[in-house]
Amino acid sequence: MEAPPSFFLSQNRSLTLKPSSPLHSHFLLPNSNNNNNKNRFSSTCEIKSNLRNWSIEHVREMNKDSSIHGNNNSSSSSFSSSLVSVSAATSSEFRTKNAKKVVLFFCDETKSLAQKIASESDSIELRTISWGKFPDGFPNIFIPNAQSIRGQHVAFLASFSSPAVIFEQIPVIYQLPKLFISSFTLVLPFFPTGTSERMEDEGDIATAFTLARLLSNIPISRGGPTSLVTFDIHALQERFYFGDNILPCFESGIPLLKRRLQDLPDSDNISIAFPDDGAWKRFHKQLQHFPTIVCAKVREGDQRIVRIKEGDPSARHVVIVDDLVQSGGTLVECQKVLAAHGAEKISAYVTHGIFPNKSWARFEHDNGGHPESAFTYFWITDSCPLTVKEVTNKPPFEVLSLASSISASLQI
Amino acid sequence: MKKAMVKCPKKHVNLFYSVDCEELARNVASHSFDHVTLQSIKWRSFADGFPNIFIENAEELRGQHVAFLASFSSPAHIFEQLSVVYALPRLFVASFTLVLPFFPTGSFERMEEEGDVATAFTLARMLTNIPISRGGPTSLVIYDIHALQERFYFGDEVLPLFETGIPLLKQRLQRLPDAKNVVIAFPDDGAWKRFHKQFDSFRVVVCTKVRDGDKRIVQLKEGDVTGHHVVIVDDLVQSGSTLVECQAILAYQGAAKVSAYVTHGVFPKQSWERFTHKDGASDNAFAHFWITDSCPLTVKAIANKAPFEVLSLAGSIANALQI
Repeated sequence: MEAPPSFFLSQNRSLTLKPSSPLHSHFLLPNSNNNNNKNRFSSTCEIKSNLRNWSIEHVREMNKDSSIHGNNNSSSSSFSSSLVSVSAATSSEFRTKNAKKVVLFFCDETKSLAQKIASESDSIELRTISWGKFPDGFPNIFIPNAQSIRGQHVAFLASFSSPAVIFEQIPVIYQLPKLFISSFTLVLPFFPTGTSERMEDEGDIATAFTLARLLSNIPISRGGPTSLVTFDIHALQERFYFGDNILPCFESGIPLLKRRLQDLPDSDNISIAFPDDGAWKRFHKQLQHFPTIVCAKVREGDQRIVRIKEGDPSARHVVIVDDLVQSGGTLVECQKVLAAHGAEKISAYVTHGIFPNKSWARFEHDNGGHPESAFTYFWITDSCPLTVKEVTNKPPFEVLSLASSISASLQI
Repeated sequence: MKKAMVKCPKKHVNLFYSVDCEELARNVASHSFDHVTLQSIKWRSFADGFPNIFIENAEELRGQHVAFLASFSSPAHIFEQLSVVYALPRLFVASFTLVLPFFPTGSFERMEEEGDVATAFTLARMLTNIPISRGGPTSLVIYDIHALQERFYFGDEVLPLFETGIPLLKQRLQRLPDAKNVVIAFPDDGAWKRFHKQFDSFRVVVCTKVRDGDKRIVQLKEGDVTGHHVVIVDDLVQSGSTLVECQAILAYQGAAKVSAYVTHGVFPKQSWERFTHKDGASDNAFAHFWITDSCPLTVKAIANKAPFEVLSLAGSIANALQI
């Protein structure tokens, strides 16, 4: 992240932005006339510029007696230079000026998301790879103009939707860092195989660990270890699966949800429901300002049923939040118990819409009044591109795109 | 008098295998008396298509020699086998051996331009990263690797053992009625480089591809085949075009019979069909077509179809497991 620009009080008592910011603005602090008094001197200033509004958060009090080499103009006053930190009111315009140029490669599945990411920023350039197959089924891959990426920041947008496609993308991921690029970032929005892993017996095989191992062995580039950007990784411990040659950057899709909720007509009637303690652990800190409902699965004889552990859904628009959905069974069970306790509307958000075997088809749209059997909204991100293709324009589904979040993460 | 080298006692090896390799694994076990015990793995899938794998009796593997017989016949199956291969060495086993009879992706790699992506190297990298076990680096058994330089793709954390199927062919040739009339033909210089040393006691001819205008045609570079039973030897076959072209030139030059041997019958897209003996055809081009069982899917497909004959690597693998 760029450091905020710094201000220095120069000897002619103007504030200049350093070092080479385009936002040069000068203004003068009030002159102090009284040389001999220890005048406390502070001011707040506001700088307006074409690009953004700045406000100075902190101005150090200056002791007039502190000595400084004076020039003839300012011999009567003294001041010390102070470093004033400024925080940006908005970041996107500033970033555009100083952004890193990134060359973004992608695979077939991620083409549409890659295009969205590139449209978010002028500093991202899309490049193609030629993906072929030899007759024996093995990949025949070629990176056109490989020499022209030397010295550039390079990223690859991957999607490991099935074991078969992993082996097609890994050779590219292993090869790109070695082409004299200045840094390499792997964006893998959804890290698969994490969910069903339970090392219960010695003999259980951790495929998430296998995948982490494959990624940890990406060669380092001139920019050092590869950065790995992934969203809402399922098991928080999985961050420890990665070796030191890779720098995982764990992002979340929740900010997209929060923005979407703000736009709803009933945004002041939203409660968040977590289907289990795991989801609560993952997300409650990001959703603190919403009323919360936590569900739990309890055993009753042979069965496991969902109960509300805490919180009250009655008359609320409840949004069930989880990191991913597979068959949807968990969501449906939560929905039933929330409706039974009086929820007026029920929606769902998952970052990753895996939906194997088209299980999304079981979710119907609630046009009003049927929270027990239908959803008002079902938000997913575009981390799982194959699902996105299938549910686009099919209410209750709505896709919240990770494009801007990914575009920002490429600047890290 | 020369002192005999003390023979090491036979190791007892627990052999796991991928689904495709079950038959070969059983053959290996039956070649080894009781030195090889077959072990099973539960191969299942989660709903999202990712593997859900369980190694049975994992605790009993502690202190034992363990091996895995793999087949990377297509990219889709690599991940599930790789997960097992990465897990087995860490179960406190005494040693770990990966038997991968056919190392794929090697044949098409030509790093001609910067931008070519070497999938053989990717695979070698994945295998190099197999964790070490108490027995040290994993032993990696591969038959007739396509490019001799590929041996340098492997890092120090694995010990590659490069075996060959040629001894099987030689044993088979000895049993032919016209064994004394056999001449070995190499379809190109690459095959000659790979194999000629193993055929010192045979007569050998070499073919070569030359450019004739736009075309490339096969010619007999050196040697005389008139009246002989010529056996074309190569490490693998894909579409079979090279073999067909060679056979044509050898027949033209007067060979009495032409047969073929490849260690790896890759045969993508059923390309073996062009070699099967068609009933009623006046001349079936190849008298014998020998392949090993390194590519189990092909073995299944050509079972009992003349001229194909499978020479099994089982005995050779059983010996390799004792190293």
